[in-house]
Amino acid sequence: MTKTPQTITRRTAIALAGSTLAMPWVARAQGAYPNRTITFVCAFSPGSGADTLVRYFADRVQKVAGQTIIVENRPGAAGNVSAEFVARARPDGYTIYPHAASSTAANMHLFRRPPIDVAKDLQMAAKINRQAFMIVVPASSPINSIKDLTDHLRPLGDKASYASAATSGKVMAETYKVLANLKTEEVNYRDAGESLNDMLSGQVAFGAHDPVFCLSQASQGRLKILATAAGERLKAIPQVPTMTEQGYPMDQLAWWGVFVPSQTPRPIVDTINGWFKQVLETDETREFLGRFGGDVAIGTPDEAQAMLLRTIDQWKEFVLVAKLPQQ
Amino acid sequence: MEMLDHLVTGFSAALTLQNVLFCLLGCLLGTLIGVLPGIGPIPTIALLLPITFGMDPLTAMIMLAGIYYGAQYGGSTTSILVNMPGEASSVITCIDGHQMAKQGRAGPALATAALGSLFAGCVGTLFIAAFAPPLSAFAQKFNSPDYFSLMVLGLVMAVVLAHGSVIKAVAMVLIGILLGLVGTDVNTGLARYTLGISGLWDGIEFLPIVLGMFGIVEVIRNLEKPAGERITISTKFRDLWPTRKDFREAWPAAVRGTALGSILGILPGGGAVLASFASYTMEKRLAKDPSRFGKGAIEGVAGPESANNAAAQTSFIPLLTLGLPSNAVMALIMGGLVIHGMQPGAAMMTAKPDLFWALVASMFIGNVMLVVINLPMLGIWVRLLGAPYRFMYPTILMLCVVGVYATTAEPFQIVMMVIFAAFGYVLLKFGCEPVPLVLGFILGPLMEVNLRRSLQISRGDPTIFFDRPISATLLAIAAGMILLAVLPSFRRTREEAFKE
Repeated sequence: MTKTPQTITRRTAIALAGSTLAMPWVARAQGAYPNRTITFVCAFSPGSGADTLVRYFADRVQKVAGQTIIVENRPGAAGNVSAEFVARARPDGYTIYPHAASSTAANMHLFRRPPIDVAKDLQMAAKINRQAFMIVVPASSPINSIKDLTDHLRPLGDKASYASAATSGKVMAETYKVLANLKTEEVNYRDAGESLNDMLSGQVAFGAHDPVFCLSQASQGRLKILATAAGERLKAIPQVPTMTEQGYPMDQLAWWGVFVPSQTPRPIVDTINGWFKQVLETDETREFLGRFGGDVAIGTPDEAQAMLLRTIDQWKEFVLVAKLPQQ
Repeated sequence: MEMLDHLVTGFSAALTLQNVLFCLLGCLLGTLIGVLPGIGPIPTIALLLPITFGMDPLTAMIMLAGIYYGAQYGGSTTSILVNMPGEASSVITCIDGHQMAKQGRAGPALATAALGSLFAGCVGTLFIAAFAPPLSAFAQKFNSPDYFSLMVLGLVMAVVLAHGSVIKAVAMVLIGILLGLVGTDVNTGLARYTLGISGLWDGIEFLPIVLGMFGIVEVIRNLEKPAGERITISTKFRDLWPTRKDFREAWPAAVRGTALGSILGILPGGGAVLASFASYTMEKRLAKDPSRFGKGAIEGVAGPESANNAAAQTSFIPLLTLGLPSNAVMALIMGGLVIHGMQPGAAMMTAKPDLFWALVASMFIGNVMLVVINLPMLGIWVRLLGAPYRFMYPTILMLCVVGVYATTAEPFQIVMMVIFAAFGYVLLKFGCEPVPLVLGFILGPLMEVNLRRSLQISRGDPTIFFDRPISATLLAIAAGMILLAVLPSFRRTREEAFKE
């Protein structure tokens, strides 16, 4: 972060040198992408779990690409600050934005006036992973399935509560409530960890939370995972059933992908796709992502772009179901 | 005795040359970034985290932990010397620490902070070793209503610790809470009090407030005074070291601060900050002559500095036993553990006991190292104060600007700092203290979310705060403290009334 002004000046200096001299050797040097430091933009503040993920890929891709990669944290406005920065960056392949594509897509509907058109101002270079939110109850609870949970909640009407923190959890829980015809009330937390004590003491009946939190607490015997919001079981966690197979059909995948400015030339996009593919195919990465409850997702830039467009459409409906306010 | 066995294993794993060197490196880095405002432990650890991927997990954790508690330690240095708190938990040290420096007693103030921190760090670490599981079970009993009541108690303390008018202190706390509410509302996702400025969507940042209201206001205040009236400096060794009287006054405060810090540190969210404020309040209450506080009372340095350091150690407990990070630094360290293939939480103590105990042992080593690094620096720091102020103040201003810019890379935050500096100067002229405001700013938002959450759970029934024993006890203590604060002035007005 302290490096921001430095890199910009350096980048500008190189751009200037390139445009004024315009010597043949410069053109050749520019052709050999990548020939200088690459920046990964991270929309989360340093220290968040997502930041760890970006830094993992920065470290691994750096080895494959043979160029230094620095991570620049530009948190704020639910990722809009970063998305806008990348959309306006030079489309030369030196500004790369690995981020939760599903939440970038969601921002198109969560903001009354989105600062950029995600589908047009950005393009996908690769997929990274897919994961799903989960419904959890205390491990000591007699509830063992979503059906049990529904039977427990229905007679309580609006007297029972549930915990949610992230928007995706809220969407999952509200979809479940619509499908099961429940009136359970929502209690908001800033992060899933904050809701642990209230869940364990029974103040709230269940939680709809991110996989990292759920898996870690389940492995320590505090919480029990009842279902994921994924359409089919994830490879990383084959033992966890889906909402769909328990009679509440939903297909809400949270997924990560790699964004670049939309004018980035196709050969460069393909190069970036190749780097990520190489990193994603390693066992190390599969294990790393598996620890966060996610499956490796590999796809061509076109497949990733198509998935982005689908996700943008999906969120239009999610926002209505969960009655999410627009900013 | 089982604990001793564990500690012996821990020390033998932690005392390899490589681990000791990285512990030293972490402590040095931590001290350095603690001294420089803005470059806090969070960005530092975030930057270093990828480097640790290739390291031995234990060595990596030892270094990262060293940075964290080293920063807690270094943060007090600038508070004392130039009234510029680098970390939230050293805001309170400004009050009496900087007064001591102004009276030419920067040496004893720094030494007290160092020794208090060493003591607290060691006790806090023992706490982790001995009581981690039962303490985390206690922390797990805290539900939303209990957190709300804890925050109420914290804010009442903010009023009690102010010296001067109670009404002004209450006003400061309330302004602080209002400032803390700026930004996106958690429940509805709507922006509040942002005046349409996108830089305020995520709320007001901490550093522009404290560096503006403390650092810059202090510079203005100093420049107002005629030259020569400023700080008197003595660098004789005798004057660098606390006197016997200082020790006598400081050690009970350090012990009490350590106890408070060890307990409050295990609660997620602002534990270290709350501990340092609580300790200051307690010392002022217990003092025979509370009027000395705010004028360079050594207990006002010893207590809070011990408290924040003890809390920094025990804030590892929720992470190591519950797998829950209690602050952003812990979240980073958790990320580091996960990358190294470990699942932080109760399982770690049983599955990886060698790593757990070696980390605990390294905290002892690190705390001793910090004192060894810092005590010889005392003379240098103090001599720094002797530099002509015309060189000092541009440096302080530059550090403030760089610090604020470095955390966010947004020029807007520097504008905010200037606004808060102007606001702080107005408050100074009205005789209002900025410390209760900062406490309101930090604790207010926590109080709000827990209040709303509790009421969501109880469907708007406020009795939820009295039905739960923890919450009821905390509220009763808060009520008691208000009575203690109000009664004397009430009695005084009555006496005055009777005189007439």
